[in-house]
Amino acid sequence: MTRDIMGKKALLAVVAVLTFFAGAGTTSALAATAEENYRFYCAQCHGLEGRGDGPNATENQPVSPRDHTSAKEMEKLTDEDIINSITDGGTATSKSSLMPPFGKTLSRSEISELKGLLRKLCKCKGKWLGRQGVLLKKRSDGKYLRQSGLDT
Amino acid sequence: MRVSKVIASLALSAFFLSASSIPVLAGPGDGRKAFEAKKCGQCHQSEGPAREKTIKDQLAKKGPELWYAGSKFKKEFLERWLSDPRPIRPLEYNSLTKKNPANHPKLAVAEAVDMAAYLMTLKSVDVLDGAVVPRDNPKGRAIFIKKQSCYGCHEVTVRGNKAGGLSGPALTGASKRLNPDWIYAYMTKPKIFKPVKDMPDYTGYISDAEMKDLSAYVGGLD
Repeated sequence: MTRDIMGKKALLAVVAVLTFFAGAGTTSALAATAEENYRFYCAQCHGLEGRGDGPNATENQPVSPRDHTSAKEMEKLTDEDIINSITDGGTATSKSSLMPPFGKTLSRSEISELKGLLRKLCKCKGKWLGRQGVLLKKRSDGKYLRQSGLDT
Repeated sequence: MRVSKVIASLALSAFFLSASSIPVLAGPGDGRKAFEAKKCGQCHQSEGPAREKTIKDQLAKKGPELWYAGSKFKKEFLERWLSDPRPIRPLEYNSLTKKNPANHPKLAVAEAVDMAAYLMTLKSVDVLDGAVVPRDNPKGRAIFIKKQSCYGCHEVTVRGNKAGGLSGPALTGASKRLNPDWIYAYMTKPKIFKPVKDMPDYTGYISDAEMKDLSAYVGGLD
């Protein structure tokens, strides 16, 4: 019994320490909010409202920045596509090198939060994920929805 | 013996008098006085190291930092620009919506020469002289145009026409303005010069050799 309690206490202590370090790794004191990062970095091309009309969207550019408010455009991308594109630039997802890499500028959690902000801007979810040859979509309850029904 | 001592003393005094009146030495001192009198420090940080830690810190700044101006710029450019300031950034500093108002104070030519002399004393030990020789080169051009599309944010002049984005400083005429050694140092050690900036950190995405080729290319842009 005592041994059980001691074991639980030790487990709690380990969890607390792990939680602390996990938190320290993802939210540094200098981390900015997704909105701040978007307005500072992304808006240069994508515009302050995300419509793809930032000051770098000049007529002579070979491609236009993506309109983040367009559900039709943003639905084509998986969450993974968005994260890869922000991290390693447009070429990581076979898109234009005009989208630069931010993997050395923003933390993983900041990039993940930016992905969340983009989903809010487009009011859409990503396209279906391909896993083991089956098209799946993760639901908010953590279950995966198959094209033919539920696959838990 | 006594006469020779007097002559030696006079010669020494003459030497120090002439040394103190050398214009080269007067320039930086007068330039610094003018920098302080005109309160240039209200917009431009003149003492390192970099202070900005957050986006808010950067957005609170009214103008580019000058604490490494002597490593970044070419003296002749500063002398010319300070007496005839023309926008380098298409947009107002820290703005994505307002056009550069082109309202930087203009100095008299003599004052601009002194101020440039002072700014050229503001060096960074992290910029190594002679690391990069400016030149048009295919590798640097490929990085600038294809691999990283630097023109996406930096306006350049192609066959007489302006092209590219507007959020960053224009690179038209960079060969007359920027020290290529500074470009290389800025690209390879971004946290030292500007820890928080809207340009991404490219270390790890561009190799050191590529950074040199790119810096040489940008440093040679007309």
